[in-house]
Amino acid sequence: MKMTRIDYRTVIVILLLFLLNGNAFAGQKQKIEKNLTTTEPDAVLVLPIQLYQKYLSKVDGNRCPMEPSCSTFCVTAIKKHGFLLGWIMCSDRLTRCGRDEEKISIPIWINNKKRIYDPVHHNDFWW
Amino acid sequence: MKWRHLIATLRILFFALSFIVLPFSPSLAGSNPKPDHQSSLIIDADKQFDFAQHHFTTQAYAMAIIEYQRFIYFFSEDKRVPLALYRIGMSYYLMNRFQEAVESFEKVIHQYADTDLSVKSYFMVSKSLLGLKDSGSAIINLHNLIALTDDVNVKDEANYRIGWIHLEMDSWEKATVFFAKISPHNKPKYRLERLSAELEKVKLLPKKDPEIAGLLSIIPGGGYLYCERYQDALIAFLLNGALIYAAYESFDEEHYALGGLISLVGLGFYAGNVYGAITSAHKYNRSKKGQFLRKLKESSKVNFWVDIENQGAGLALLWNF
Repeated sequence: MKMTRIDYRTVIVILLLFLLNGNAFAGQKQKIEKNLTTTEPDAVLVLPIQLYQKYLSKVDGNRCPMEPSCSTFCVTAIKKHGFLLGWIMCSDRLTRCGRDEEKISIPIWINNKKRIYDPVHHNDFWW
Repeated sequence: MKWRHLIATLRILFFALSFIVLPFSPSLAGSNPKPDHQSSLIIDADKQFDFAQHHFTTQAYAMAIIEYQRFIYFFSEDKRVPLALYRIGMSYYLMNRFQEAVESFEKVIHQYADTDLSVKSYFMVSKSLLGLKDSGSAIINLHNLIALTDDVNVKDEANYRIGWIHLEMDSWEKATVFFAKISPHNKPKYRLERLSAELEKVKLLPKKDPEIAGLLSIIPGGGYLYCERYQDALIAFLLNGALIYAAYESFDEEHYALGGLISLVGLGFYAGNVYGAITSAHKYNRSKKGQFLRKLKESSKVNFWVDIENQGAGLALLWNF
């Protein structure tokens, strides 16, 4: 079946909406856990996030209530656990961003703003 | 011509006299062979040690390290050299420079074995290793002390400390084993009766089963709901529901590319919902245990305070009424 013109537009719009999912992905590029390397398939997924951090997040501002921000968390998770598990952890983090995590995680203050401390190693400690 | 000659002669005489007289003038610096006792000070071992101790007690630890090192260098025969070495270790420890603290305390252990300071240094090595988050090495170090010493009190303290390290590591059973090794006459000192009673309460702690959380997540958000994360549960349910519906509609409308893309994103979020629920159960259990441990420390732990003045080991008893 051929893909119609509307299909292409919708795909682009959805991708943009996904990337611009403000609160969830907002956050400047932060320090990523040391000694993590990226394989080529992982880089495919990491690249759009890094582009987002480099160009969109700088304009959008650092509004993610979590520390590290969701985008940094995703890059770290993908680099640490590979494409599949990294993507799953990333999706989980986007779902949890800034709500009930506050009850259970340590609060920290960055530039006088309260953030919820939830790095990757707080989410993979049990396996 | 005569006048000129006379003037020249007088000039030479004046300079010659100046060179002869001036060195004997009391106004010249350095000419006095006697030292000025009022403005000079001779630093002896006591003064140097007091100066180092002054920095240590005023929490100027970096300066204290330098002054204690100076003391060791100039007064290497003084009987307070081991104490100075120990204090260097303490200064590093109090500055949170744990690796250097370990090295300093190990010097005391190796150079002054079988002394009180050596025993204290063993304990401080363990504390520093805990600061480095190396619980395993901290336990091994205390085991070494137990093997080396004949003093029952030291063995008991080491066992007590090992027990607490195991508690911190979530090894409740191992902790109980080490607390049981403490000799009967020291059990009241460490308030083991109360500690054992409190440890029994571990079994009553609320827990969430990660497997149940994972299974309940078959319905998106169910696992989060089980883990008492109500907002996350709602978001997971709505988000996954919307993505599943969007994928279904796309395939139904024969927009296969769009349907495939939405499915890819949706699968990630669905798997994330399962993963997140399992992680949330683990986090819940960890949090409850952490809270319990904090309460246990407040109510039952005998704290060994940091030895600032080195006037003997100290015990701090905390009791919640």
